[in-house]
Amino acid sequence: MTLRTAVGPDDVRAVLESVPDPEMPPVSIVELGMVVDVRVDADAVQVDLVPTYSGCPAIAVIREDVEKALHAMDDVASVEVRFVSSVVWEPERITGPGREKLKSFGIAPPGSGQVLVQIGARPRAVVCPLCGSTDTVADSPFGPTPCRSSSYCNACRNPFEVIKP
Amino acid sequence: MSDPRLHLLLALADDELIMGHQHGHWTGVAPHIEEDLAFSSISQDEIGHSVVWYGIAAELSGKDPDTLALGRPPDGYLNAILVERPPRDWGYTLARHYLYDTAEDVRLATLAESSWTAVAGATGAIRREERYHLLHARLWLDRLAKGPVEARSRLVDGLLAALSEAPGLFEALPGEDELVAEGVLPVTHEQQRRRWLEMITADLSGLGLDHVLDGESHHTGGEFVPTSSGELLTDERGDAANGTTGGGLGGRHGRHSEDFAQVWEEMTGTYRAHPGASW
Repeated sequence: MTLRTAVGPDDVRAVLESVPDPEMPPVSIVELGMVVDVRVDADAVQVDLVPTYSGCPAIAVIREDVEKALHAMDDVASVEVRFVSSVVWEPERITGPGREKLKSFGIAPPGSGQVLVQIGARPRAVVCPLCGSTDTVADSPFGPTPCRSSSYCNACRNPFEVIKP
Repeated sequence: MSDPRLHLLLALADDELIMGHQHGHWTGVAPHIEEDLAFSSISQDEIGHSVVWYGIAAELSGKDPDTLALGRPPDGYLNAILVERPPRDWGYTLARHYLYDTAEDVRLATLAESSWTAVAGATGAIRREERYHLLHARLWLDRLAKGPVEARSRLVDGLLAALSEAPGLFEALPGEDELVAEGVLPVTHEQQRRRWLEMITADLSGLGLDHVLDGESHHTGGEFVPTSSGELLTDERGDAANGTTGGGLGGRHGRHSEDFAQVWEEMTGTYRAHPGASW
């Protein structure tokens, strides 16, 4: 019999809340919706993650950060981090607080009006995360990371990034 | 390589790795900054997708993914010859980008129905990401086709050159019958090729470019490439440069063009110079 409370999945999730996305540090991997499953068996922890984009170069860094954070927990002896392909990451997985933090980072979160349109169609304007204007233009469907595209706001004259739909 | 399933994965992975590698050559030197960004992103995506396929191949074969990706001799690579060609000019780059990504669309739609759950599952995220490649490819197909004379004629040249080797993307794999019988490959590559042909015929017809599908013979046709001089641009990089690989075939058996040697040297150089290094 032990008097200590064993580690539970909720404890693990709480620690994962503190692991930032390396390319968007204000947002945690939990807020980005990357955590698919947490399993705890005595002192062994298994975490399943889904990358936002399969080509995301941050995957290795995230794995290391998660391992480091969980190893620092009391009563955790082994940590296994898996990236699974059984779940498809979608922007809708980003939590409410995660979306607010993205905005503060100058990135338009999902729900800002971004849509994937066929060539020739005029996309709806994306709401500028910096000033809230809809007087914005899409610059490129690509951006500085695989999950982001590039836009420009005519109102506040700032370029900004958009989480791809 | 006796396991047809491993062969399938390596063909997929090698296509993606080497296509990504070639697209990456535009980083820093594309015609303008947004295309620099686009090709860098597409390149990163394709290499990322190769990582997914190498990952499944690693589980299957018990080999390390990096060793699979970078540690094989040239004749161990199973990519189609089309993807190992250098980027050449903007017309060829975009023509190949379009043909490759439409082919990939058909291939991924097929594999989404695979009885092999690891493979079918992997197509979910990849297809989501590939939507942007198709949009980009079709945008440029449209733009060049409707652009000035030089743009259209360079696109036609690029399409003719790339089309002559595109069948290699659908070359039957050794052991394909077995893969089809098991449902790992829901339909043959030949059937996939026909689906792809329907898809590109629709796109090209809409732009008055479907004559390129008739291939090299149309090079002397005379009416469809409105060059300023009234002449057709001859593709001097045509069959002779393609070596002995008619239709761009051979890649799935590890037989490559003369261009592959350089790709292999460049792509695996660091890996070979520092065996076992960790990054």
